[in-house]
Amino acid sequence: MKRSPLDGSEHTNWIYLLPGLLLYAAFVFGPIVAALGLSLTSWDGLTVPKWVGLGNYVDLFSDDRFYIALRNNAELMIFYCVLPLGLGIGLAACVWNLKQREQLALRTFLFLPYIMPTAVLGIIWAWLYNPAFGPFNQFLRAVGLGMFALPWLGDFNFVLPAVGIVATWYFFGFCMVIFLTGIQRIDPSLFDAAKVDGASARKTFFWITLPLLMPEIRVVLLLTVIASIKSFDLIFTMTRGGPANATLVPNIYMYQLGFELNRFGAAAAIAIVGALLTFVINFAIHRLVGSKSKGMA
Amino acid sequence: MSRKSNIPAAPLFLRLVLWLLAFVTITPFLLLLLTSIKSKADVLQGAFALPAYPHFENYLDAWNAGHFNIYFWNSIIVVIPVVAASVFLGLLTGFAFAYLSFPLRRTLFAILTLGMMVPAEAFIIPLYYEMRYLGLINTYAAVIVPQIAMSIPFSTIFLASAMQQLPEEILEAAVLDGAGRFYILRKIVVPLMVPAMSTLALFLFIWTWNEFLIPFILVNDDAYRTLPLGMLFFQGRYTVNTPVLTAGAVIVIAPLILTYLVFQRRFIAGLTAGATK
Repeated sequence: MKRSPLDGSEHTNWIYLLPGLLLYAAFVFGPIVAALGLSLTSWDGLTVPKWVGLGNYVDLFSDDRFYIALRNNAELMIFYCVLPLGLGIGLAACVWNLKQREQLALRTFLFLPYIMPTAVLGIIWAWLYNPAFGPFNQFLRAVGLGMFALPWLGDFNFVLPAVGIVATWYFFGFCMVIFLTGIQRIDPSLFDAAKVDGASARKTFFWITLPLLMPEIRVVLLLTVIASIKSFDLIFTMTRGGPANATLVPNIYMYQLGFELNRFGAAAAIAIVGALLTFVINFAIHRLVGSKSKGMA
Repeated sequence: MSRKSNIPAAPLFLRLVLWLLAFVTITPFLLLLLTSIKSKADVLQGAFALPAYPHFENYLDAWNAGHFNIYFWNSIIVVIPVVAASVFLGLLTGFAFAYLSFPLRRTLFAILTLGMMVPAEAFIIPLYYEMRYLGLINTYAAVIVPQIAMSIPFSTIFLASAMQQLPEEILEAAVLDGAGRFYILRKIVVPLMVPAMSTLALFLFIWTWNEFLIPFILVNDDAYRTLPLGMLFFQGRYTVNTPVLTAGAVIVIAPLILTYLVFQRRFIAGLTAGATK
């Protein structure tokens, strides 16, 4: 790096760096390292932790519930990542050539869920889905679809999509906003050229808009994948992982093992696996989507 | 915008579909508002039926009997120091990463970004025992201090990249005039950073207001619960009283909606700038 005119001697530079770094080290980085260590022990929270090496990880990968949690998480990614991404791109392509005011109004409404606390959204949706007096089933009955009025959050088969739809609702407006700015970044002459060449709207979308949106697609994928792996608030407030593990995800399992069963070593191992998973997927997205966008730009 | 004129106007049908979708998207919020002014008897008439007259007393019930007065003030007590301290520390650390040289620069930066990727769920157990060891469980500090620490990576990176956009000539001129570094930071950099700082403050406000896990694990005394937590425990205590529950939800989200509507352009500009960087 080029030396800035503001650069000073090394030990006076630390004055600016240290306060933030120390606090971060004490309450974030330290605990992360401690979680790594804790995951190698067996600990009930009271007695001295017992070293078990990779024992917790071995146990975890022969634990059926952990696989259920991983599979549920993978299925939830359809609702956290795929649907919002697809909906977001489609909507952005529809909305971007509307008039400024109308675009702003639609954006405001569709983006609204994203600024809400997911824990509170979970509580609100648990009420919307309530089988007896929930608005959702009342609506279905009112429009003559009463046979579909299910106990959504109590039904083993439908609970995962029911929770997933909330995540889709939460994210799709956010995705649309990111894609809208992406489209506005694209050189307008490309669209004009396509028009002169007589390209259809669909062709323009697939051959110009979509490829040039790769950087935004990458960002959206990163954020939604991470959100799906760390999903806790929404699921905890809606179902607590039930019924019968149908919505169990790693972080809910981590909470149960740690704060309900006092098996903190095993819980820490899940947390570490979750963090590693985030890194791996992050890296993969950077590799797959990232290199492509560079090639086209 | 000239480019807009080249594009044919969107067909009416498409616009209708878009508006219908927007309406469906905000329906949960509309239902929430509607239910929050119903009596218990009104609720039995169906979720979409209008009440005979608005029952604003639900808000009073939520505020007092539901303890939302406590949760609301707790949220304020937590959010102000978190936002203020995070912006302040982010300025110092961001200044260092933008302009200053120090050993292990790359390593420290990597360690900092690590904290942005690792979710709080991953280190909540050691954090809980650390807070217990420090005797901070069930205090405001238990909710405030970790959230400041957790926001340092984002604040630092956000403000450092904003500072790097500043014209270097101004800083050089100030140095030539013999101004001290802290003086330059305070009198020259900070005033130029006001837009970035306010965007950052907006994000931190929303994130802190919405935080669930930290207060959930680190506080179990009703006197220190913030709004999202209060809502959860209210739900547990008063499952049947839907109007008061929805009134409580409105109390939680009203400040968010208000902030969002006032700062919406700044918010979305910051969001997309941060996201595509």
